[in-house]
Amino acid sequence: MSIIREHTQHTLTDVWRTINIDALQEDSSVNFDTSALRPPVPEISEADVRALTSRVRQLLRGGDAEGALRACLESPVYENGGSNTEAAKEAALQTVVEVLQSIKASDMTPVLRGIYASEGGSEALDVLMKYLYKGMAAASTVPPGGSAPRTPTRVTPQPTGFSQMGPRPGASSESTGAAMSVLLSWHEKVVEVAGLGCIGRVMTDWRRV
Amino acid sequence: MSQSLRPYLQAVRSTLTAALCLSNFASQTAERHNVPEVEARTSPEVLLTPLTIARNENERVLIEPSINSVRVSIRIKQADEIEHILVHKFTRFLTQRAESFFILRRKPIKGYDISFLITNFHTEEMLKHKLVDFIIQFMEEVDKEISEMKLFLNARARLVAESFLVEFD
Repeated sequence: MSIIREHTQHTLTDVWRTINIDALQEDSSVNFDTSALRPPVPEISEADVRALTSRVRQLLRGGDAEGALRACLESPVYENGGSNTEAAKEAALQTVVEVLQSIKASDMTPVLRGIYASEGGSEALDVLMKYLYKGMAAASTVPPGGSAPRTPTRVTPQPTGFSQMGPRPGASSESTGAAMSVLLSWHEKVVEVAGLGCIGRVMTDWRRV
Repeated sequence: MSQSLRPYLQAVRSTLTAALCLSNFASQTAERHNVPEVEARTSPEVLLTPLTIARNENERVLIEPSINSVRVSIRIKQADEIEHILVHKFTRFLTQRAESFFILRRKPIKGYDISFLITNFHTEEMLKHKLVDFIIQFMEEVDKEISEMKLFLNARARLVAESFLVEFD
């Protein structure tokens, strides 16, 4: 009887079942030191990004789309465990997306070819690819408290035919949908110019934007 | 095919082609085991950067590559409650028959509707481009299927309502 009670007390109160005991062992593969895989990345503050943004805007206004894109791909803000802040990374992403949106669809391929042919162009396009994926990931995640939860809790007018009024439920995503289609068409063009290896390098590189 | 669907599928296709570069890799924790590393997560050095491809906030694909397996999770478009229910029923039907699909995962990961797990054994047995084609075709078909089911459902509901209300005419 006493054994049973002791046992149930332990199973009920302790969360020992969820402990990953492998992680406690020092030479376990879970504790592989990945810092060797991360090359040192430069520290870039939010103010630096702001300065870059204004420089890029100037280039854009001057009609130098290729120069603007190059400028913002040359100093990507990588994640380095703290000193590069979220705000700086977010601002850098915004700058890249802004440049991408301001370039016309017919200019995409010439701009990319120009960058690819220049020195260090392959790396620049890898960085661009990272920003494309990041842009899609960032815009598709729902902000806390935002709309479009997994189960729609808002009762939206259904397109049943009874009511011709009211927006389509997906109408709020119209703007994000447009932003996405820009990123998607850039993605296609980058793959055309730089090849599939570009995606492979994004996946294997530990320097994440 | 609508205008933005083609680049979306093209992006998924090229990303999947790049990600499906798998090799045999035995577990480093348990001897004589061979597990998909993307599921086991016991060796951080063999997990690669997960990539998201999104068409809009309701439609996206998450591709998580690793050394010996790739997990592909799809969020299917759900514009309203009816579509949400239909997608749930449809994916449930498929996942209950997961073993006949080989690469289908029994449970989708959080935030997505359906997940596929492709291991190096699948790529050894099956042709890589056919696997990619399968996923792309699935994504094309599922949207059509759901909107078709919704139309049927609405037509049926209308018919039922009409024949019920005719009593009170």
